[in-house]
Amino acid sequence: MAIKPFAHGNAVTVAEAVEALSASCRPLAGGTDLLAMMKADLTAPESLVNLKTIPELHEIGVVPDAETTKGLRIGAMVTLSQLAAHPAVQGRQELGRGSLTRSSMAVLHQAILRTASPQLRHMATLGGNLLQEPRCWYYRNELIPCWRKGGRLCYAYRGENKRHVILGGGPCYAVHPSDPAVALLAMDASLRIVGPAGERTMSLAEFYHPPDRETRTVTHLAIDELITEIRVPAPQAGTRGVYVKVAERAAWDFALAAVAIQAVMEGDTIRSCRVALGGVATIPWRASQVEEVLMGQASSPAPLSTAVIDRAVEAVVEDIRPLEHNGYKADLLQGVLREALDQLR
Amino acid sequence: MPTIKKTKVEYEGRVEEREVIVEEEYIEPWGADAELTVVGRPTPRVDGVPRVTGRARYTHDARWPDLLVGRFLRSPHPHARLVRIDSRRAEAMPGVWLVWHRDQPPPVERFEGRPLFTEELPYEGAEVAFLVAENERIAEDALAAIEVEYEELAFAHDLDDAMAEDAPPTLLDDESNLVDPEGDTYERGSVEQGLQDADVVVDLTFTTPRAAHCCLETHGSVARWEGDHLTVWHSTQGINRCKGSLADALDMPMDEIRVICEYVGGGFGSKFAAENYTVLAALASKATQHPVSALLDRREEHLVGGYRPSSRQRVRLGAKRDGTLTLIEHEAWIGTGAYGESGPIVGGPAKDLYASPNARTATWTVRANTDAHRAFRAPGYVEGTFALEGAMDALAEELDMDPLDLRLKNYTEQSPSRDTPYTDKRLREAYEIGAERMGWRSREERRATSGVWKRGWGMATQIWGGGGGPPAKAIVKLESDGTAEVLLGVQDLGTGTKTVLAQVAAEELGLPLDRVRVVIGDTQGTPYGPGSGGSVTLASTTPAVRNAVHDALRQLFGIAAYMLDMPDEAPDQFYTEQGEIVYRPDPTKRISFVQVAAKVGNYMFVGTGARGPNPDDAAINTFGAHFAEVEVNTRTGQVRVNKVVAVHDIGRVVNPLTATSQVIGGVNMALGYVLMEERVFNARTGLQLTANLEDYRLVTIADAPVVDVAFVDVADIQANSVGSKGLGEPPIIPLAAAVANAVADAIGVRITALPITPDRVLNALRAEREEQ
Repeated sequence: MAIKPFAHGNAVTVAEAVEALSASCRPLAGGTDLLAMMKADLTAPESLVNLKTIPELHEIGVVPDAETTKGLRIGAMVTLSQLAAHPAVQGRQELGRGSLTRSSMAVLHQAILRTASPQLRHMATLGGNLLQEPRCWYYRNELIPCWRKGGRLCYAYRGENKRHVILGGGPCYAVHPSDPAVALLAMDASLRIVGPAGERTMSLAEFYHPPDRETRTVTHLAIDELITEIRVPAPQAGTRGVYVKVAERAAWDFALAAVAIQAVMEGDTIRSCRVALGGVATIPWRASQVEEVLMGQASSPAPLSTAVIDRAVEAVVEDIRPLEHNGYKADLLQGVLREALDQLR
Repeated sequence: MPTIKKTKVEYEGRVEEREVIVEEEYIEPWGADAELTVVGRPTPRVDGVPRVTGRARYTHDARWPDLLVGRFLRSPHPHARLVRIDSRRAEAMPGVWLVWHRDQPPPVERFEGRPLFTEELPYEGAEVAFLVAENERIAEDALAAIEVEYEELAFAHDLDDAMAEDAPPTLLDDESNLVDPEGDTYERGSVEQGLQDADVVVDLTFTTPRAAHCCLETHGSVARWEGDHLTVWHSTQGINRCKGSLADALDMPMDEIRVICEYVGGGFGSKFAAENYTVLAALASKATQHPVSALLDRREEHLVGGYRPSSRQRVRLGAKRDGTLTLIEHEAWIGTGAYGESGPIVGGPAKDLYASPNARTATWTVRANTDAHRAFRAPGYVEGTFALEGAMDALAEELDMDPLDLRLKNYTEQSPSRDTPYTDKRLREAYEIGAERMGWRSREERRATSGVWKRGWGMATQIWGGGGGPPAKAIVKLESDGTAEVLLGVQDLGTGTKTVLAQVAAEELGLPLDRVRVVIGDTQGTPYGPGSGGSVTLASTTPAVRNAVHDALRQLFGIAAYMLDMPDEAPDQFYTEQGEIVYRPDPTKRISFVQVAAKVGNYMFVGTGARGPNPDDAAINTFGAHFAEVEVNTRTGQVRVNKVVAVHDIGRVVNPLTATSQVIGGVNMALGYVLMEERVFNARTGLQLTANLEDYRLVTIADAPVVDVAFVDVADIQANSVGSKGLGEPPIIPLAAAVANAVADAIGVRITALPITPDRVLNALRAEREEQ
């Protein structure tokens, strides 16, 4: 289908871009999702403001954070390919004391390399990746007026739903498509957001919210705001991360289930950790009950034993509510968590 | 003198008797040990460079500044009645040239027995209107301005609900959703006898999904009318069939129609005749006196471009304790669309793969509210082999026999359904080569019993036609500089047809390959050639090329004899070698093509040749075996195919390079079928959910296994004078069964529904656990 005519303007500064934003003027980053949405006539903004022309949004670097550690600041327009090639993400550049190990940023690196295809990663930006629309086959079908698009009904709920949500679903059951968002949630990343009122910082955990009766979106980003930067705190000494994703196809496919773990290890004992799930909820999902099991009693930390893994695997499916065709995702999620924990050991 | 002869030709599992004109002299087949210098050598595609540099012109590249764009308005419902349509607003828009629909029909109203625009719209994507505009943007805006009122009707979206007791009719006037209640049946011996004689019986049901062709170049035509003459660029596997069907549809003389398809971006069985968009583009070009394109977009390709039909297959096998089959029974239900005709020969493998005194097949085709299925690379045999070879493995397990030994035990030297010998059958060699290369007999040593990834092995057998036959013709023109042009009315579907035609011509001419140019893909100036389907192209056309060359050389030899001062010598006393004509009794007596041509001035030697008949009372078939090694992750349900050994018996291999790539391509296409491809519909709305290349998953290179390709490569000199049979379809046939059998071997539970996705694996493992 041919794309509907639209105006296109280049912004040179963030302020200029924010000024232009409205319901009918949307920001254009890599375009891998937005332009496809427009071609499918699922959205039809009158104009696009191009963010590629804003130099500061392309910056990526290690910058002073807290007193003793450094964090990684990633401009929202950094492409996934650029990010995967960055020495800090590859574990070749120190971000904090004792953090110079390949595994400290591995969760992000692995998540990026499991995203889409090389061609898409060359175009897609990290900021855009966090704001992707769902890939749900009802949402993407122009003939189906699903709830998320403003309709009355979620067609997945009693439909063909093997790829849909098992955790916290309703009124929408479309899974969140991002891999990097799951990794960044495990890394406790935060976002710098700029709007007409100035700038604010928000943790990724707060940024996403499941859709509810009032809101059909999944983020707290206002229509006239931009994500300008993604901040990843410096890993503590002993940090190890892992991202495991299962999809039907080896490349260029979205997760049926994914697990991101960022853990601070002391020997084979987990001192602290964050666990996030992908492909199973409308947003990147924090699995706190799994974290609790893995960290054990603060007073008597125990090594990551098979018994602990078994309990974590039990815990990960505690709150699931499968639909007709996605019951397998419970087994799958448990399997993916086991894989991830095996790799962590 | 030409004579008429009857001959049998197998096409996609059906054996047809054709009357052919035999006009050629008997030409000696190249024997198994013939010394050939061009044929049999790995030869890069003669059109490889234009293909990869973008210089090859496809139908989608046919464009001029005055080209108008034709687009369809399509039904957004699985089943509806067109209540009202009003296109006045669209017609008034600047840049819109014409709009045709039910109430405003084109000058030719019917095509293939139906109106081009109907009141009943029995599937999503059914054509409601055709609109021609200056460009695509205007066309789409104008389509949106057409006012349409639909009355939605009850629908059935696939096999199960179309077969249900209270199923709504797919077409309002149809009494039943069965295409033919009698079905297509075959029987030898009796089922009762087969059961009586059996010590062991297995009875399994298999299901396969609708699978889309996903041609890289979508379906489409571009038409340009000049005076009374119509030229059509058509993305097709059959330029001559397109010409014929256009002449019929437009009631035009055939000599006023030219069809061009020099390159086609995939067809796989879905692109043969002219289609409604071809006819409408032609009519619109005549009406506007502009060239008009009608090219489907990706979504339309999924909605109306065809698919391999879905199937439900029940296989019952009976056997003696020693593995001797007493019964092969195969019942199938095929899921097609609203205008679908009887489905493919799904029972073909059950009839012919193994010796069994008792066999029965019965197939029924069921209509649902989708577009009709189309032939798809080895129609029926991919589905039928998956089921039969899955059941054979289940039987082997029941008998505690090696799956390969069970197949060898029931090996047949005769065609069971035709009760004739084969011209040649070297399946046994294919089994041996495959087993050796896979390390089949020592596989247990490599089985990973611990760990998450479980390893397994499976194999399956392929039978298919591919013998080809008449009619096919060729013209060879020998130029005065010792180059040659070979003309055929065929097209290169991507299999390398153009290259093998050049090889065979060069071989017979005794010229190097680069002195031969092949002209195909254009009905103008070329003689009749067959469509590229049923794996028949090579075996039908290359013998015709040999005959045409033979005809030209005979004339050339006459002149050469005169020039070598032996005017009375017969032409068969000469042969060619590297552009020279050589006197057989004394090879020092020779003269070059160029010298002969110089002597006779501008004279051009023109030879014509036709494909002769097939041998009487012999079946011509291709055979093969695939062996697969897989690993299955029992935690995540992922299936990884590590290695495939693919061995085929297609007689002589003309070009090992393109043959090998044909097999690698077939294996990977089949890999998608077994692991991920599926056309999915929403039960509530009847709409297709996978009408794009994201939700309809094709394999990527990251999924591709190592494919070890081998050929038995012995000329089948009974089959035709080149000794070769087709390879277009064989490589896609046995892989799904081999992989499914390997998965069953790995995890100990058989998955009988395709595709084998992680959810199916995990559900099967869970069911197994809960049973224990």
